[in-house]
Amino acid sequence: MNGTADIVIVGGGAGGLAFAWAVAGPEVKVVLLERGEAVDQRRSPSLEPDWELALQTTFNANPNLRAGSSDHPVDDRDTPIKPAYYNALGGSTIRWGAHFPRFRPSDFRTRSLDGVGQDWPLSYGELEPWYDINDRMMGVAGLAGDPANPPRAPRPCPPLPLCPATEQLAEGFEKLGWHWWPSDAAILTEGRDGRAACNNCGPCGLGCPRHARASADIAYADAARAKGVDVRTRTTVTGIDFNSDGTRVQALTYLDSDGKVGRLNCENVIIAGNGLGTARLLLAEPRYRHELLGRGLMLHPTAIVTGFFRKQYKSYRGAFAASLISQEFYETDTPRGFKRGFQMQALRGQGPLTTAQGGYGTRLPWGGDHTTAFEESFGRTISLTVTCDDLPEDENRIEIDPARKDRWDMPVPKMIYRLGENTKAMRRFGIERASEALSAAGAWKIAVTKLSRTAGFHLMGTARMGRDDRASLVDRDGRVHGIENLTLADSSVFASAAAVNPTPTLQAIALRAAHAMRIRLGLSGVAAR
Amino acid sequence: MTTDDLLSILLDTLLPGDEALWPAAGQHGLAQKTRDMAALAPGGLEALETVLKALPSTLPDESRDIREQTLREIEAAEPDAFDKVVTAAYNAYYTDPDIRDVIATLTGYENRPPQPRGYDLPAFDESLLDQVKARGPIWRPVPDE
Repeated sequence: MNGTADIVIVGGGAGGLAFAWAVAGPEVKVVLLERGEAVDQRRSPSLEPDWELALQTTFNANPNLRAGSSDHPVDDRDTPIKPAYYNALGGSTIRWGAHFPRFRPSDFRTRSLDGVGQDWPLSYGELEPWYDINDRMMGVAGLAGDPANPPRAPRPCPPLPLCPATEQLAEGFEKLGWHWWPSDAAILTEGRDGRAACNNCGPCGLGCPRHARASADIAYADAARAKGVDVRTRTTVTGIDFNSDGTRVQALTYLDSDGKVGRLNCENVIIAGNGLGTARLLLAEPRYRHELLGRGLMLHPTAIVTGFFRKQYKSYRGAFAASLISQEFYETDTPRGFKRGFQMQALRGQGPLTTAQGGYGTRLPWGGDHTTAFEESFGRTISLTVTCDDLPEDENRIEIDPARKDRWDMPVPKMIYRLGENTKAMRRFGIERASEALSAAGAWKIAVTKLSRTAGFHLMGTARMGRDDRASLVDRDGRVHGIENLTLADSSVFASAAAVNPTPTLQAIALRAAHAMRIRLGLSGVAAR
Repeated sequence: MTTDDLLSILLDTLLPGDEALWPAAGQHGLAQKTRDMAALAPGGLEALETVLKALPSTLPDESRDIREQTLREIEAAEPDAFDKVVTAAYNAYYTDPDIRDVIATLTGYENRPPQPRGYDLPAFDESLLDQVKARGPIWRPVPDE
């Protein structure tokens, strides 16, 4: 089956859907191809008695363990942090906690300011209007005025509530005189547009039957369709056809939902498959080569420090990952022994089964001590992540294994990653500070998970953005150097990782890139419509 | 002794409960459910068979301490298989409605799915931030902004 389109977007996740909505209009034929299915969040497992089992099966964040019909294997033997993403319309925002922080201005200038990593060819100020548009589209709850960040527009909704346990944690930060602030969250606290307000149920990662928690499909897919975008799910791109000198993409080949081969001739191609998927697709194409492709993988190594409290707080109540953050140790302070910094993010307690299985840390012991351990843990814990900025190091990378193919006949990607010395020093310092905060809040016991092995959610930097085409793969608009009609619109283009979740930034980049494309095509800009 | 009898003894050793409210998993009849849960994970049933085969035939006659010691030795010898069995046992135990009732009795847990009712929490109190605001900005300006 053959077809044509003006603009084809590969990947219907956070970046791809934002780009599709922004670039669409009556003047252009836009097709979005997503390998996964649409997920009906109105039927979330959180409505079922055995809801926690879904976290281990259909909503398992690790594609190797989930092994759903849209998932391909990932060779993760050479990384201590395992891959965590979701193949569906909406991408990993189907499975996320909706914590929604922005990068800081310094995150875009780590080389100039601190002599590490890479500077971006963009600034915070240039992205700010796109952050604002994205906040309105996704529906963000929060509170402007955070002294740890530049002033920003009023948040579309008031902040999510704290709970008794996170209020106790806030008291700990107050005792120490450290920064804390309610999280920006892509979760509505006031209903709008057919979406209800959050009712604090907790397991946002199972999808939200109220559509209070945003995901890219809820926020952007219908809006994109309304502007004429042809959204095709269960459609897996398998190849990129270049012209003879490799300077232009002519077509994409794909397998449709019936397993039939298709070819789509296109004027412009956008790839938005995250730092792993985008790199894999390009690495599989012999006509495109760049020595940095796949390199500079950044993952946000994360330690989790858990405080145990005597009081039964029912700490499982409330959005699990979106209550409060501390950015007290975000910027470089050289005497600490490392460059850049980290964020601490509160994580609430979990349901009974997940508590027993260890939650964010170690599984509770079996045997005679089990019930005591459970009673000490359930509803009585609050955790802090130590989310470390991650420097782009070339040896951390995505490769493909040409000898091992998945069922779509695509080479299996391989994650190769190890923690850098800067990160290790930062993590040690961060664990000490998180323990201090939880102790100040009154925790009687502290448990430390030095490295969350399941937290490979943030796949960044394998096709970095820059001004020099030898030191980067794409320009400030996400356009691949040397290929006139290929754009990347996801976290693969990140030149630095910052110490916060990447989704608002990758979506802002995608919106800005779509705007730039419309201008290049002689159309009106996004903000003007 | 049937395989399910042996599995029940294994479960009673992993999750022995207490003398108050918590039942022992095997005595509570969770053998078949544990098999069902093992089947959810890749290699789960094979893991269960590996662990069951490793159990000595004398286990039913042993004291609780000896049973526990025996399982720890199997755990050390077959860590991956044992891990999957513990996961399945916990899954069976903590999705059982009676166990959830125990948790409700002990902690006030609402024995229901999180949705559609959710939970009530008081709105965010901005006055909690007075001191944070008073300390002033801590972000780092960038020269070219």
